[in-house]
Amino acid sequence: MDEATFISKFIALGFNEQKAKETLKNATLTKNITAAFNSLDNHNKKIEELTKGSGALVYHLCSKIKPQSLQYLDLLISLITENKLDNNLRVDLALEFVLSHSVSNTTINVADLEKHCGVNVVVTPEEIEEVVAEVIKKNKKELEEQRYRFNTGKMLAEIRSKIPFADGKAIKSEVDCQIFYLLGAKTEADLAPQPKKKAAPSNNTATSKSVKPKEEEEVSNDDTALTITELMKKVKFHAPGENYKTDGYVTTPETERLLKEHLKITGGQVRTRFPPEPNGILHIGHAKAININFGYAAAKNGICFLRYDDTNPEKEEEKFFIAIKDMVEWLGYKPHKITHSSDNFQQLYEWAVVLIKKGLAYVCHQTADEMKGFNTILSPWRDRPIEESLQLFEDMKNGKIDEGAATLRMKITLEEGKVDPVAYRIKFIAHHRTCNDWCIYPTYDYTHCLCDSIEHITHSLCTKEFQTRRSSYYWLCNALNIYCPVQWEYGRLNVNYTVVSKRKIAKLITEKIVADWDDPRLFTLTALRRRGFPSEAINNFCALMGVTGSQGSVDPSMLEACVRDVLNVTAPRKLVVLEPLKITITNFISDKPIILTVPDFPSQPDNKSSHNITFDRVVYIEQSDFKESPEKGYRRLSPNQTVGLRHAGVVIKVVEIKRDSNGKPIELFCTCEKSETAEKPKAYIQWVSVPQIIEVRLYERLFLHKNPEDINEVPNGFLSDCNKDTLKILKSYADKSITTAKVYDKFQFERIGFFSVDPDSTSDKLVFNRTVSLKEDSGKE
Amino acid sequence: MEEQIAKESHRLSSIEAEIAQVENSIKNIKEGNFGDESAELSSLLTENSKLKFRLEILNKAIANERKQMSSSSNSPTEVISIIKHLYDIFYNTTKAIFPQFEDPICVISSQTNKSDYQCNSAMPLSSKLKQLNVQMSSLDIAKKLVENLPYSPLIERTEITGPGFISIFLTKDYAKTFISLILNEGVKPPPMKKLRVVVDFSSPNIAKQMHVGHLRSTIIGDSISRLLEFLGHDVLRINHLGDWGTQFGMLIAHLEDIFPNYVNESPPIADLQAFYKESKKRFDEDEEFKKRAYDRVVKLQSGEKNSTKAWQLICDVSRREFQHIYDLLDVKIVERGESFYQSRMESLVKELDEQGLLEEDEGRKIMWGEKTEGEIPLTIVKSGGGFTYDTSDMATIKQRIEEEKADWIIYVTDAGQATHFKSIFACAKRAGILDPSKIRIDHLGFGVVLGEDGKKFKTRSGDTVKLSDLLEEGTRRSLEKLKEKERDKILNEQEIIDATNNVAYGCIKYADLSKSSRNDYVFSFDRMLDDRGNTAVYLLYAYVRICSIARNLGEEFNKQMPKLKKETPIVLDHEKEWKLAKVLIQFPDIIEKILRELNIHYLCDFLYHIATTFTEFYDSCYCIQKNKQGEVVKIDVSRVLLCEATAAIMAQCFDILGIKTLKKV
Repeated sequence: MDEATFISKFIALGFNEQKAKETLKNATLTKNITAAFNSLDNHNKKIEELTKGSGALVYHLCSKIKPQSLQYLDLLISLITENKLDNNLRVDLALEFVLSHSVSNTTINVADLEKHCGVNVVVTPEEIEEVVAEVIKKNKKELEEQRYRFNTGKMLAEIRSKIPFADGKAIKSEVDCQIFYLLGAKTEADLAPQPKKKAAPSNNTATSKSVKPKEEEEVSNDDTALTITELMKKVKFHAPGENYKTDGYVTTPETERLLKEHLKITGGQVRTRFPPEPNGILHIGHAKAININFGYAAAKNGICFLRYDDTNPEKEEEKFFIAIKDMVEWLGYKPHKITHSSDNFQQLYEWAVVLIKKGLAYVCHQTADEMKGFNTILSPWRDRPIEESLQLFEDMKNGKIDEGAATLRMKITLEEGKVDPVAYRIKFIAHHRTCNDWCIYPTYDYTHCLCDSIEHITHSLCTKEFQTRRSSYYWLCNALNIYCPVQWEYGRLNVNYTVVSKRKIAKLITEKIVADWDDPRLFTLTALRRRGFPSEAINNFCALMGVTGSQGSVDPSMLEACVRDVLNVTAPRKLVVLEPLKITITNFISDKPIILTVPDFPSQPDNKSSHNITFDRVVYIEQSDFKESPEKGYRRLSPNQTVGLRHAGVVIKVVEIKRDSNGKPIELFCTCEKSETAEKPKAYIQWVSVPQIIEVRLYERLFLHKNPEDINEVPNGFLSDCNKDTLKILKSYADKSITTAKVYDKFQFERIGFFSVDPDSTSDKLVFNRTVSLKEDSGKE
Repeated sequence: MEEQIAKESHRLSSIEAEIAQVENSIKNIKEGNFGDESAELSSLLTENSKLKFRLEILNKAIANERKQMSSSSNSPTEVISIIKHLYDIFYNTTKAIFPQFEDPICVISSQTNKSDYQCNSAMPLSSKLKQLNVQMSSLDIAKKLVENLPYSPLIERTEITGPGFISIFLTKDYAKTFISLILNEGVKPPPMKKLRVVVDFSSPNIAKQMHVGHLRSTIIGDSISRLLEFLGHDVLRINHLGDWGTQFGMLIAHLEDIFPNYVNESPPIADLQAFYKESKKRFDEDEEFKKRAYDRVVKLQSGEKNSTKAWQLICDVSRREFQHIYDLLDVKIVERGESFYQSRMESLVKELDEQGLLEEDEGRKIMWGEKTEGEIPLTIVKSGGGFTYDTSDMATIKQRIEEEKADWIIYVTDAGQATHFKSIFACAKRAGILDPSKIRIDHLGFGVVLGEDGKKFKTRSGDTVKLSDLLEEGTRRSLEKLKEKERDKILNEQEIIDATNNVAYGCIKYADLSKSSRNDYVFSFDRMLDDRGNTAVYLLYAYVRICSIARNLGEEFNKQMPKLKKETPIVLDHEKEWKLAKVLIQFPDIIEKILRELNIHYLCDFLYHIATTFTEFYDSCYCIQKNKQGEVVKIDVSRVLLCEATAAIMAQCFDILGIKTLKKV
């Protein structure tokens, strides 16, 4: 059908030319509509003869129909022409009905279909009136309170669900009518603009900042997802066993049987898995995968496996296995079971033999270079005899063939045009679990879907870049006649100003730019934990990012904001001076040190927890809180300006400055006065008496550019983009109450930021990492 | 001041850090940790570890394959020759270690006192290597061989002794499997390719007496044929009768004179030899008779009816005599005399002539084989135009290869014909009839039979000993012997006849076969009927005794025998049990050896070895314990089964030797 014919027919459906042209841009839709036109021709039905509104229904049908239901398009078109499907609802119901039949390819019982869609069901005005009255009665109280501001949408939805086949317009006018009857005419107040509600910080937009631990949280009816569990509850994935209803899912004559068996095994439970390669450390991107997989399983009362995808024996080390499990648990998840891809090596091998025997895989001798890229030469070994491939594959397994001299390849072309992906390659490396059992190792492409199938995963959730592997995923399961899970993709989480690749981090370590994999400047999960990020904050951050397919990178400040939200209510306050300046109070109010009780959470009056600090004649304040020649607007201590000491209830005033040989002030002598009597100081500052020396590590952003790996932004490579002096180590003073702090304990150092106890701490030396400053970018002076 | 101190302490701490770093590096180097300082080293290390890993994988694959192979060779359908197995293993290992040798030396010797088998390759290998300017001691070679030896289900362990002898000790598992196999499946030959084999033996001349020389050929040929048949080969036993030639003219002419009615009535020639003598006399004396005799030859060869009839009559008389002897000896053979080849000789001569292989020599047509020094050419056509033995043997070899499709031809004749056959084989090769790469051909030449005086075996009067007389004497002496032992009192009449014959013929055959056939042998009834030493009598008695062990346990027990054979695990814990088993499992080795050397006496030695080892076993291991009342108290089933297996193998050996066993003694 040429474009002109299409456009003219499309206009005949009741649309304008512009819409027709827009539609033409959508290839799938155009194809479906063209099929619909052909179908109309087959039924000898001219478009012009269609009942008014049917054209729109045809369009609706074509835009909603899934590829696996296309075989029923003709049937549905004929039902539209017969006015049996006379509104969008009935079309949708019909689509739902045929989709559920698409797996078995059975003939549709038209009578059942019509019954399902309520064809010929007539709802009388009396019935409508009755249902509307009932629902309005239920909402009467709110209606009377909110009057015309009441959102009738929900009410209408409820009514529709009760009488699905009633005419929408009739319902609407009945509702309007009954509301008018209840409330009377609109008053002036009704017409006035709605007074602005003060937005509650916890439930307005997608950037909502949830701070409660997630277990305590209740499921809110709000449209905004707050936690991962809630987010995942709203995600529209297929129900277990209904794999075929998903777009792009490929069915075979065996699918129905396999899905039935699958349901028998799983009992209809949702099964997901988190499948990291155990050859590196988890990073922030993995946190999303963990949250989505574990979160979805949790939201659906399902189970989630932790599967080590250990098909590559190189560099797999025990420590990675432990670290991964550790991080999953740190994020608050417990795997239903820990599995390994290598558990299935024997099965995978046997399946490879099946593929060869079916002529779907062959042993190839092209080199890795020859296979690289997309414009490769087709393997000359593609059609070698099956027997030969079997023998060679056996030889590969037995170590008879050199590394790189042969691979097993599958006969399938990937979406992106990649031909015949490799299933097995030779590696003369011992595997940490299978030892020297194998010298052929399966690839991701080959292993992943098969392990999913073996574990009866219902939803194989992965990041967007694996979309191109989806067809091989389905192809392989179907080629082997085994249960085929559904692959769903979500956008990968990238954070700016960092690198997460294993190789690059290793380089940073060898270049001594960072100390180790868990250096708090990195975005590995261990690094974030060490830096003091609470796992709840990371989970909340992931929830904030959502499950959408969009791939974008996020500024680390977004994550930091989540961290602040959590720490703000969980981290006890402490008085600490990072760079102390000694002050002797010449007229100290007591002849011995005073013990003060200070609240842990001054901003939460309900929270009664507190700690004691000592106040003595010698106190230390932050060097930066004293300026000899202050600029205008300076609010803290100067020779001419007093300042209050937080929690101490005194205001101090400089009397004398003691200097070192360079004239730099090294001690101040001050007098103090009770704040009640003293002139109100412009500011209160933190201080420490009888100090405990602590080490404080201040970290700065590691990279200068947003995308240090982008050659356009950073032409000389990511190493050239490193910030200098991103770690500053200070000998600071804290009050003695801090000595009981344990590793990973988190505090807010008042007026400075959030800090966490570093694992480097010893019994006589506490080390603190700055997690985040109090405000974004407030760390800078 | 403070600044100074800070500066100095900073310097000191950086020096300390440096020291620590250097110390660490030294420590790493000492531990063999070179870090990534040398890219080449680390890549070599990786390469090395990969190769090591690959080796593991390969070794595992090999072991797996061997296991599968051995599980199939241990399966109850096959027995293997241990020597051959060990040879293969050592040969392949040697070849893998010393690729410079295309076909390396490999010497495996069978059981010795110190070990079960032994590999003696190291010494010759060492000297071979020396020739290639490679210095390697035989001890090192032996070590290397042992190190690289792949897994074998047969080898329990190896041990190096002396300058590099590798002692090999067998596992008991294979022996156990072997024995169960024999018990449950019978004695089976080792697997081999099935061949079409022509065995030419016996081959007496018509109208002449069969003598001890023919007896040897008959006994050896029959035994070789029996062995080949046991191995599953398709054996054609041919009696190449001397039934053609000028002497038949004279016999026909004489027959015409004495029994003119011979065409209608069979002539009563009882003593064909006397008849021959008479005609020969006339032939030499009577010119006219001689002329007529020549005429009859021509007539016979042209197929004239009456002459042919006369010839047949004469042959029939001989044939009856021969058959009587074959029957006594239980020998089966297909008669195909020289006459069979008459037409083939004619066409052969034509072909050879056309090929230009025949040379004129004083009116004769001769043919050279390899034309080596000392070689005698074949006379294909006589000056008178007649054919010779050479002609018929050439036609015969051609017929056997081309028509019988033989893969292997064995001629069993006296050693005196060695040169003749050498020429025949050489000419057949030259004429393109025989391709030695495809066809195995053997002339099994045997030594002369000597009398006890060490001279050619003759009667006291100096005549050649008539074979029928000899056999008669054998039975007579055998009966005497039985009576001497008072066996006639135990056995019934038929049993005594059977025993007499079996012992007599068995002894004659065994005495012949138990000596290397290449050597002359002394014919002595006294010696062969002795019941001690390596004689048939001893072995037959031993066999009967072994058989009786199980038989004496009664019907009930023997009824259960098949079940017991299947279910009882064979125990070889006792030294003598193991020793006996180790002899029994050599059976396939012995077969292989005989096939290689075509010398059946190895089988006799083996049989004797079994019998003596069995005696050792039986003397030290109770099979059945009885109390003083003679009631059975305890049966060691495994041992009884070992007896049964021994008997089974012995029976098979007797069968190959053509010796009938006795039921009772």
